[in-house]
Amino acid sequence: MNMVKVPLQIFRYKPGQAPRYDTFMVEIPDTSHVIDAIDTVWAIHDRSLAFRRACHHSSCGSCAIRINGVEKLPCVTRVTDVWGGHDPLRLEPLRNFPVVSDLVVDVTGLFQRMSAADMSMICEAEAFLPFTVDTFAVAGLDPKLVELPENFSRFSRFEKCIECGICVSACPTMAADEKFLGPAGLAAIHQARKKSNDPVKVEHLLGLADGEHGVWRCHSAFECTEACPQAVDPAGKIMALRRELIARRFSKMMGK
Amino acid sequence: MKNPFAEEPKPTSAWLWQVITGVGLVILLGLHFIANHFVAKGGLRDFKEVVAYLRNPVILFLEVLFLLCVTTHALLGVRAILLDFGLSEPAERRMDQILKTVGFLTVGYGLAVTWVVIR
Amino acid sequence: MSTLDYRKVSRASRWLDVRRRKLGMWAYALNRITGIGLVVYLYLHLVVLSLLLRGQAAWDFFVTVARSPYVLALDVILLAGILIHGLNGLRIAMTGFGIGVGAQKALFVAVMVVSAVTLWVATIKIFRI
Repeated sequence: MNMVKVPLQIFRYKPGQAPRYDTFMVEIPDTSHVIDAIDTVWAIHDRSLAFRRACHHSSCGSCAIRINGVEKLPCVTRVTDVWGGHDPLRLEPLRNFPVVSDLVVDVTGLFQRMSAADMSMICEAEAFLPFTVDTFAVAGLDPKLVELPENFSRFSRFEKCIECGICVSACPTMAADEKFLGPAGLAAIHQARKKSNDPVKVEHLLGLADGEHGVWRCHSAFECTEACPQAVDPAGKIMALRRELIARRFSKMMGK
Repeated sequence: MKNPFAEEPKPTSAWLWQVITGVGLVILLGLHFIANHFVAKGGLRDFKEVVAYLRNPVILFLEVLFLLCVTTHALLGVRAILLDFGLSEPAERRMDQILKTVGFLTVGYGLAVTWVVIR
Repeated sequence: MSTLDYRKVSRASRWLDVRRRKLGMWAYALNRITGIGLVVYLYLHLVVLSLLLRGQAAWDFFVTVARSPYVLALDVILLAGILIHGLNGLRIAMTGFGIGVGAQKALFVAVMVVSAVTLWVATIKIFRI
């Protein structure tokens, strides 16, 4: 294992200040991932650097950023794979999300879109916010005996998608149209539709996708599929939804 | 907090019409181009040749269909670009009205010129 | 919570930045650029057709001008735009119906190759007229 000195050029923004780029020189093992370099900047150089990370193995999607202008998960991207050895490695927040601070973006819109497809991301314990399992224990209650709210879907996981927002950042239409459901939202609708046998729910899901800012706003750039680190293929799912919607329209026209 | 993405929107057929007119244009524009620039002697028709060309009922039908398709396709394309400017709902409706008016005027103009020429 | 938002115009023109983007994005940007060019040409063409209303002399003079090599060169550019936009449009229609989505990059390459070959043949014919 060798140590390398890597210059990092990081986008900085704090509310009330103009955005800028700060350059840091970090000395890290050559086997490091980009997230390790960011960690080093925070630990040694600048404690005000804001960034997200959690699992360190492309499972949670928290750390997604742009590395040299391309959306990636820094936890599984080796520094040596993206740094040529000369120019600084440029790190920026995801596009098409409001920037909160430095590399941290406001992902509310992403989760609202997923939630619209009934892809709820919370588990049983979180259903009782602000209470936690510990709170129940302190209060002398057994959380297993507490009933869940009606129609609450238990911990729902969108199988491949890790809700990282990379597809949203890569999408040129998401850049322009805040009302667009987007690749993640539409892929979630497709997934929910595939999993459901309830005709009313299917009708509702397809109805969500059928609007001006649904599947029809996609301009077939396919950047979402290219950028997705989990091979979800959001573009393919958007096209599949379009096919189904058109087939339904023709069936209705034929009176079926 | 109400989820703005959870309400079912009004369905739209704009993309479908864009595709239908687009496929139509591949055929009609192809015919138009070949007829006017590769079949016509010298690559362009002079005045008398234009009049004779448009007086052919089959040609007239195809050229009018071409005009309808190209105007629809062009203005739907312009609409798609304008939608990228993050317009409010009332602004989107106004934009649709303006584009429809431009479309009608364009087709009307084309038909008027054709009528005067072949009369 | 205060956040940094980018202006609408810079967001609306994000599609123009194809740096480090893949073929699908290049196809999208090319389709838009050729589309804008063709809309401009459409209305220019319709205005030029009004010369027909001024009678034989006006139209025939225009035909003489239109046969000049400079105008023919512009026609070649026009044809390039038509071929790219039309053939790529067919690719978008196909993939939009869920056909050939996995082959979208190969389809774009095919579109560009067919456009180039057709343009080359057509250019020879145009300048021989």
